Amino acid sequence: MKKIIFIFFWFSLLSSAQNKQVLYNFNNLPQTLLLNPGSEVYNQFHIGFPLLSQVSFQAGFTGFSTYDIFAKDGVSINDKIRKAINKYGNAEFMEANQQLEVINAGYRLKNNSYLSFGYYEEFNALAKIPRDVVDLFYEGNSDIGRRYSITKTAARAELLGVLHIGISKKINKNWQVGARFKIYSSVFNASTKQNTGNLYLENGTNNIYKQHIDNLSFLLQTAGVFFEDTDVINKSYIQKKLLFGGNLGVGVDVGFTFHPKKHWTITGSILDFGFINYSKNVRSYSVKGSYEVEGIQVNFDPTNPENYWQDIKEDFDNQVVLDTIYSKYSSLRPIKLNGSVAYSFGRPYYDDCHFSKEREFYTDKMGLQLFSTVGTVHSYLAATLFYEKRINKYLQTKITYTADPFSFTNIGLGISTHFNAFNMYLAADNLISLSNVYNAKSANIQLGINFIFNKKN
Amino acid sequence: MIPKYYYIILIFFTSFTSCTKDVDFNQIYDANVHTTYTSTLVYANFTAINFLDTNNIEIPSTKDSIEAPIDKNILKYLEKVEFTIIINNTFNRGFNFYFNFLDDTKNVVYTLQPTIFVAPNSGEQTFILEIPFEDIKLLNKTRFFEFEFELTESSDGSTLSGTEIGTLDLKSSVKLFYNFYKL
Repeated sequence: MKKIIFIFFWFSLLSSAQNKQVLYNFNNLPQTLLLNPGSEVYNQFHIGFPLLSQVSFQAGFTGFSTYDIFAKDGVSINDKIRKAINKYGNAEFMEANQQLEVINAGYRLKNNSYLSFGYYEEFNALAKIPRDVVDLFYEGNSDIGRRYSITKTAARAELLGVLHIGISKKINKNWQVGARFKIYSSVFNASTKQNTGNLYLENGTNNIYKQHIDNLSFLLQTAGVFFEDTDVINKSYIQKKLLFGGNLGVGVDVGFTFHPKKHWTITGSILDFGFINYSKNVRSYSVKGSYEVEGIQVNFDPTNPENYWQDIKEDFDNQVVLDTIYSKYSSLRPIKLNGSVAYSFGRPYYDDCHFSKEREFYTDKMGLQLFSTVGTVHSYLAATLFYEKRINKYLQTKITYTADPFSFTNIGLGISTHFNAFNMYLAADNLISLSNVYNAKSANIQLGINFIFNKKN
Repeated sequence: MIPKYYYIILIFFTSFTSCTKDVDFNQIYDANVHTTYTSTLVYANFTAINFLDTNNIEIPSTKDSIEAPIDKNILKYLEKVEFTIIINNTFNRGFNFYFNFLDDTKNVVYTLQPTIFVAPNSGEQTFILEIPFEDIKLLNKTRFFEFEFELTESSDGSTLSGTEIGTLDLKSSVKLFYNFYKL
């Protein structure tokens, strides 16, 4: 137990949805290659500041905000909880994602392709909680005949290290394509999905009520969560697991940039198309079955005493079977899809960072981005309108408006500065909520420092 | 000279510079969740034979018990327990019904009040019995629930026989009222 607490405490220190709409294709930063391996970068080589080239935190809950519950407004917290639960949808989800780039570097090859590689640590968690489960906890089961379904209940949590290497190659003056190969090393994974079943109470025949568990099917898969007594869980254990001592997997990112016309750019990427094979410290739990009971029929026969509770327990155990499974399993990584269409305009410019014989660069760009995460646990879509402005050769900005399941009023801002080889960037969203951060249903920030070298540097 | 764009950025940032509105996280100590769970309990169907011994002589009472499935970890959140008991009596005899809580050694530690009196030929009657908050702590000692039917004397001195036509049916359920006050 202490070991489990230690693990959860460790990642909670790090922890903090996965859409990086401000950073996507922003100012040809090296980190855009992690969001679209087919991004265009124009530098000769780059190296990220170790451990600081990208620090990323994202978290959100679609249900209600901290302010909805804890506002100091003279209203009873119980009334606020009640109000929040009344507004709760059929199923709401919470998501947290944290990434820390340990190493990020890249180099332009002689054939003008750009090779980039690095290593980052990532924690992500998602829980999807249906209304029925909330009502069952908040109100109980006394609504006779109502079926409390667990069908939409799903969750996953994972801590992993990712080693990656990718290449971005210009095919012709209009097309740039790229791909990235990844090796995943998972410290721990827990996942439950595709659960089904209902619990309900109805009027009985022999007794007042009959209770039902109907077609229950629940599976929780874990790896690296439960340990042997001989295992020592400490910092070096986690480091070892992050550095390819954990459960291993592979994945690829692919992407492109296309210029159909002089001012127009279309991009797209598929990230984390891959899987992890879990074979170490695997323990999964499966519960399956149906059960109905009207109560215990007592026979009032002193000559034939019965152990009623034992009988009902055995009957339940026979019909609703709990299995502990130790066999290995594989899990697909949640796939992320990005796409954008942008129109460039304004004043053409050239500088040391942006030089191409084939195209002109413009100071202004605006467009539409789409993001979707597709996973076996949960999928969602976000749409972003953006405006990117190059203010001068030192400073580039990007403003975004995003509609996603967390909010329809999400304004984001990105700033990237260049002073010779030194580059620093900051991207954050939900700025409207800065007036009251507690009212934000989601928050998202990425920041980092790079050294970007061009031929003159 | 400072470019005008810097002013624009400055204005943009300052328009977002307040931080928080007042929140009070200590309100969590005032939070409570009142949840009610209903569970089916026991049922029984009696004929005259249940009140006769092997010599077909009427016995004064009959009882049975079940293990009480009490989770002591959440007992502290329990505010009230409400039993619903439905008894349908078509015998020409009355009964007293006792619902006792027994400890490990099967000694009575608590009896639900009031005792239910079922009048002769009463038909179906519903009784709601409650364990008040101050008595809930006694559930800590409870290992068994005991149900006892005691025959009351007939008005004409007659006794039950094996040919007696009549039934006594018991149905029951329990409502557990929780207050999860420590979220």
